[in-house]
Amino acid sequence: MIDFIRKPEGKILIAGFLIMFLGFVNLIYIKENSFLSSYSFKQFVWIVVAVLICIIVTRLRLQTIKNLSVPFYIFSIILLIFVLFFGQKISGAKSWIKIGNFMSFQPSELVKISFIFVIAKFYSELGAYSKSYLVKYFLGISFFLIPFALIMFQPDLGSALMLLVVSLTVIISFSYNKKVLIVVGILMLALSIPIWNYGLKDYQKERVISFVSPENDPSGYGYNVIQSKVAIGSGKFLGKGLGNSSQAKLKFLPEKHTDFAFSVWAEQTGFLGSIFLIGLYSFLVVYSLLFLNKIKDSFLQVLLFGLSSYFFFHLLINISMTIGLFPVVGIPLLMFSYGGSSLICGAIALSLIALVVSDYKDVNRLGL
Amino acid sequence: MAKSERSNLSILIVSILLVVILFRLFYIQVINGDEYRKISSNNFLKEVIVPSPRGSILDRFGKEIAVSEAVVNLYYKRNSKDDLDKLKKFLISDLKIKKEIINKTLKKSKLSNNKNKRFILKENLGLKNIYRVENKLNSFFSLELVVDYLRVYPFGNVGAHKIGYLKSNDRRDIVYGSFLSTRLGASGLEKIFDKRLQGSNGLRFLLIDSRGREVLSRIVSFDKKKVKNKAGEDLSLTIDIEMEKLIYSSFGDFNGAAMVHEIKTGEILALVSKPSFDPNKFSKSISVPEWNKIKEKPYKPFLNRTLLSSNPPGSIIKIVTAVAALEEGVINESTQHYCRGYYELGGRKFRCWKQGGHGKVNVVSALITSCDVFFYKVGLSLGIKNYSKWLENFGFSKRVTLPFSQNRGVIPSTDFISKYLKGKWYKGDMVNVAIGQGYLTVNTVQASIMTSIIASNGIYPNLRIVPGDQEDNRTLGISKKNLFLIQKGLLGVVNDRDGTGFHARSDGKLAGKTGTAQVISKRSKDYNLGEFKNHGWYTSYYPFEDPKIVITVFVENGVSGGRSGGPITKNIVNYYKKNYLAKPGEVN
Repeated sequence: MIDFIRKPEGKILIAGFLIMFLGFVNLIYIKENSFLSSYSFKQFVWIVVAVLICIIVTRLRLQTIKNLSVPFYIFSIILLIFVLFFGQKISGAKSWIKIGNFMSFQPSELVKISFIFVIAKFYSELGAYSKSYLVKYFLGISFFLIPFALIMFQPDLGSALMLLVVSLTVIISFSYNKKVLIVVGILMLALSIPIWNYGLKDYQKERVISFVSPENDPSGYGYNVIQSKVAIGSGKFLGKGLGNSSQAKLKFLPEKHTDFAFSVWAEQTGFLGSIFLIGLYSFLVVYSLLFLNKIKDSFLQVLLFGLSSYFFFHLLINISMTIGLFPVVGIPLLMFSYGGSSLICGAIALSLIALVVSDYKDVNRLGL
Repeated sequence: MAKSERSNLSILIVSILLVVILFRLFYIQVINGDEYRKISSNNFLKEVIVPSPRGSILDRFGKEIAVSEAVVNLYYKRNSKDDLDKLKKFLISDLKIKKEIINKTLKKSKLSNNKNKRFILKENLGLKNIYRVENKLNSFFSLELVVDYLRVYPFGNVGAHKIGYLKSNDRRDIVYGSFLSTRLGASGLEKIFDKRLQGSNGLRFLLIDSRGREVLSRIVSFDKKKVKNKAGEDLSLTIDIEMEKLIYSSFGDFNGAAMVHEIKTGEILALVSKPSFDPNKFSKSISVPEWNKIKEKPYKPFLNRTLLSSNPPGSIIKIVTAVAALEEGVINESTQHYCRGYYELGGRKFRCWKQGGHGKVNVVSALITSCDVFFYKVGLSLGIKNYSKWLENFGFSKRVTLPFSQNRGVIPSTDFISKYLKGKWYKGDMVNVAIGQGYLTVNTVQASIMTSIIASNGIYPNLRIVPGDQEDNRTLGISKKNLFLIQKGLLGVVNDRDGTGFHARSDGKLAGKTGTAQVISKRSKDYNLGEFKNHGWYTSYYPFEDPKIVITVFVENGVSGGRSGGPITKNIVNYYKKNYLAKPGEVN
């Protein structure tokens, strides 16, 4: 065990499992119904699946991962198209595939990871015959535009935004060029106007408006944020103690098990608990970023960078949402919030990071 | 970007953003923690409704038929700081609120589960009282003024049936109880267009402590309006409310129904039913005794007589009898019958309304003089099948395309005969229905449609009360020649020396038909007395050369259509001439 902790992949996995565990504890203390029919039970099943995925993924060869990139990407795009036709509508967005009567899955979660795979593969192979920034930008953006458009059709603003942020971060950092950056920036601005006018549903616009100016909030979305802030703030330094989340229990806090799971945690465990949880994520992100310098293979570089930004932006946007620094856009706290899709995808990302940091030196296992 | 640069830069960016978040968390949880803790443990954040006005209902000239008026109500919220004796004194002597009401309110507000609630002390404060209360708001913390909206119908009873009224809404505000502005449409257009007329209520947040006091917080502004209230959409009608008012008053002591519509557009200018009720009474919750008083009035004031009262049409149906006979080739313009005052059938005498008879009559003169005998004979040769086919063509026994509940009436169709008369149909029955008695009932709107078809040379009007897209008009396919005969007859009814409709005669451009419907048999001893007085019909169009409007008046127990309906029709024509046909600059 101590050996395991000493290894880089051990540290990564333990941080990740701890986040899952704390998320589960938090969920139990929200207390809804009985255990068997509750969110907690479903989440328990998902956690078991997630741990199995971690075990399997960490045993794979990196070359296999690389070979799987394109099929994985295509598979997730097919799922996105499938969900447009046969998906289930939950709270305004047609973004769920039902699995049996018990569980459902969001393909938009999967595509966030598979995009990182495919862009990593292409950037690593592109270097051999093209050094043009323009080509890099163009290819990167076209890989991202397809799933982005499909997700906007659902429409799932949170996932679309997340894909946008992670993709742009990766594309910009790996094809950095001032001029192109400015052009892309202008293009994005020009695109945002039709997206605002035609791409967003009213309730999504309201959320953004309510953030920018709460006084003009036409549907009361500011209410969520106020209640979330009351929950977080009332936790003070040490918290009210587990099981004492009055804001959540009195049903003041909406979406308390998903988007606002952090608010419940912060109310129960205070500033100290909040720092601890954020610390775990920060460790994951910063620790994997530290490895960037050591990695020679460009596929692994892009992959690692993409996966850690995937973790980081979920953390950043979700927490900013709960403390009123960002509009409420429906982004979960990865592996902590309730929800199978984000948990499974988080587990895949987590175990891949672990795999990369443990095996990057092993040229044989990469198959180069 | 070089490798190490990328790694270091990204770690730097990540760190900066994380520090921002940590600072914010520190600010919320540690610096403001006490305040938030207070809010979450002792206080309740409540959503409170901000009332919004219902959309207005307007007539074709923009006159307000129904409108939401802002009213200011006085509420009481419990506050231990207030001196109750002083407060009571102020309420009783300055605002003239009854002592019992005040005591009841104070008692209710002391109950433990009412601690956050507001109780209404006085509705619709006048301007003076509003000033009085406003001056005291700083000394009495338990008083609160809240704006609400009261539905007002400036024209009251006029046209109330189709406009409708409001009823209470189950949606109660947890703090303020019922608002007048959340009431729902209970009938008529208020109900049909309820969704459109209703605004959306706003919401605001109140932070209330465990003792029911509002708390002002330094860190969150809770009292700001969080959801703006939105006024409902206005609804414009084709109705001319001043015309309706004139019609309503023209009825005098009579009850009945009237309709005026534009022939070309099908737009209804007036749809009046009398007696009526005052919809203003239902804009607030109504007390049981008051409701009973309204309900127990004789003559059913809630019955919409334009559509729900279906009566024998009497002689106005001779229009259809004549059209059917001409079109089926049973008669032509020169066909003559002799009227000696009665017609004998199977040993029974069927009388003409005119003792002594009309002598020789053809279809035009029979319409003008409303000769019964002519139509007895025509009816018999026409036969019930042909007749009921034409009645159906004219829309009788069918729903009209207006969104109100209606009584379609009956016609003696084959179905009706086999279903209700065991298939037995006698010549006597035929003779009766040919002049609009017996198994034949129509409502005012259906009668208007009939006249409209004649006036427009056979076009079935596309009636509406809310302006909308024009649909294609259905044409009945009556020959021009036959239509001309009928039109000539109808012009004579009003303007000929022997015409029965002379009561409405003025400029020679009105054409119409009178009708008198028996309420009970002529042989009864109560015939034409009291509530058994005949109903009167008067249906007409104007002006003859270029028909613009159809006017139909139904007068309950009006004795005769000409005498009771004629003057009302004449008033409408004069109003129409003055307000619609007068050229600009021309003064009447």
